[in-house]
Amino acid sequence: MKFPQVGKILEEYKIGCVPCTLGSCLLKDIVAIHNLSQAQETELIYRIEKTIYPQRDIKRPAFKQAAKKTAVKEIKYSPVIKRLIDEHALIKKWIGLIPEVVENVDIASGSGKKLILDGLDFIRFYADKFHHAKEEDILFGYTDKNLDIIKTMLADHETARGHVQAMIRALDKGDKKTVFAHLNAYKELLSEHIKREDEILYPWIDRSISTTQVGELFTKFNEAEEKLDKEVIEKCKKFVQEAEQRVQKIKTEKKEVTK
Amino acid sequence: MSDSGMGGCPGSRMQDFREDTKGGKVEGGVRQSQLKQWPIQLHLVSPEAPYYQKADVLLSADCVAFTVGDFHKDYLKGKSVAIACPKLDEGQEEYTEKVKSLIDDAKINTLTVMTMQVPCCAGLVAIAEEALHSAKRKIPIKSIVVSLQGDVLSEEWVS
Repeated sequence: MKFPQVGKILEEYKIGCVPCTLGSCLLKDIVAIHNLSQAQETELIYRIEKTIYPQRDIKRPAFKQAAKKTAVKEIKYSPVIKRLIDEHALIKKWIGLIPEVVENVDIASGSGKKLILDGLDFIRFYADKFHHAKEEDILFGYTDKNLDIIKTMLADHETARGHVQAMIRALDKGDKKTVFAHLNAYKELLSEHIKREDEILYPWIDRSISTTQVGELFTKFNEAEEKLDKEVIEKCKKFVQEAEQRVQKIKTEKKEVTK
Repeated sequence: MSDSGMGGCPGSRMQDFREDTKGGKVEGGVRQSQLKQWPIQLHLVSPEAPYYQKADVLLSADCVAFTVGDFHKDYLKGKSVAIACPKLDEGQEEYTEKVKSLIDDAKINTLTVMTMQVPCCAGLVAIAEEALHSAKRKIPIKSIVVSLQGDVLSEEWVS
């Protein structure tokens, strides 16, 4: 980064775009999507300009110093966005268990392989077909699909599918190293992906859609869910509820073997 | 704003806004009404009416339209409407059934409930929530609460 100080300034305003390596977004778009107040935006732009052009005589605009510290507004989501965020919560629960899975699960054992397979089913049916499909087939249609942030989210979905396919192939061969490498990569990818959606994309979409569109999305989400096998979705929810216990059981069994 | 200094029900306590409304900008021209139906009173409306089918419906407390200066432009436009008073109207169980019918039979897209800040007005949101609870379909419901002088105090999705 040519101006690392700019990254630090952006982070002060909870604009976490700095680690992104794509670099295709315009600063004005990044600022706009974060819904800063007028005072905050004025202050931010002034500080960035002063950082990039320290010799330039830039007049300090009138703004309240305390503005940036009170940047975060309370977010009350529409029922459609709230539904997607609730789905994220379940996905995050499984993702949160992955480090323990990688550390303790032996894919050569029956229970270990079953846990990985069930975890992959959860990713394929819940995270992808149930959740990502709602975004790709419905929600993103209410945005400009040429926007960089939408392209990035779609690319993340494809990358995630690639990790899943690689895990299935490696699991068939009993290749533990490759299974866990892709599981870790999936965790890293989805953690960041969900964070960006929860904190940036979803609030921005929620501010952009009208009451009529909220109703349309609500109906379309319901219709999409009705087309899916309810038993499979319930099985996925149950998997996450029980996964922690299953990992704990595997850890206990592992300890007993090593005694 | 001044009031009579008397306590009691905030919904019926006398308040005088004459000083507050002085000096407002005088606008010329004629504003187009955004009302696209008749009747509007919740007892009188029929969920079978064409303007309710798959519509975005505004369920407004009677007083709201008198307090919000830009009611037609900002809230009524694009919506079908029904009005009611959750404090004074009789037969409110029929209201619940009628809202339920709007949800299930007219298959309305959304329901926006606009009420005054006075406590008794919250009953209208309760009617909408009860109707939704008993309906087969589920729809998003938004609640907008306005002050006695027409400012929007809150606007949030309640279901």
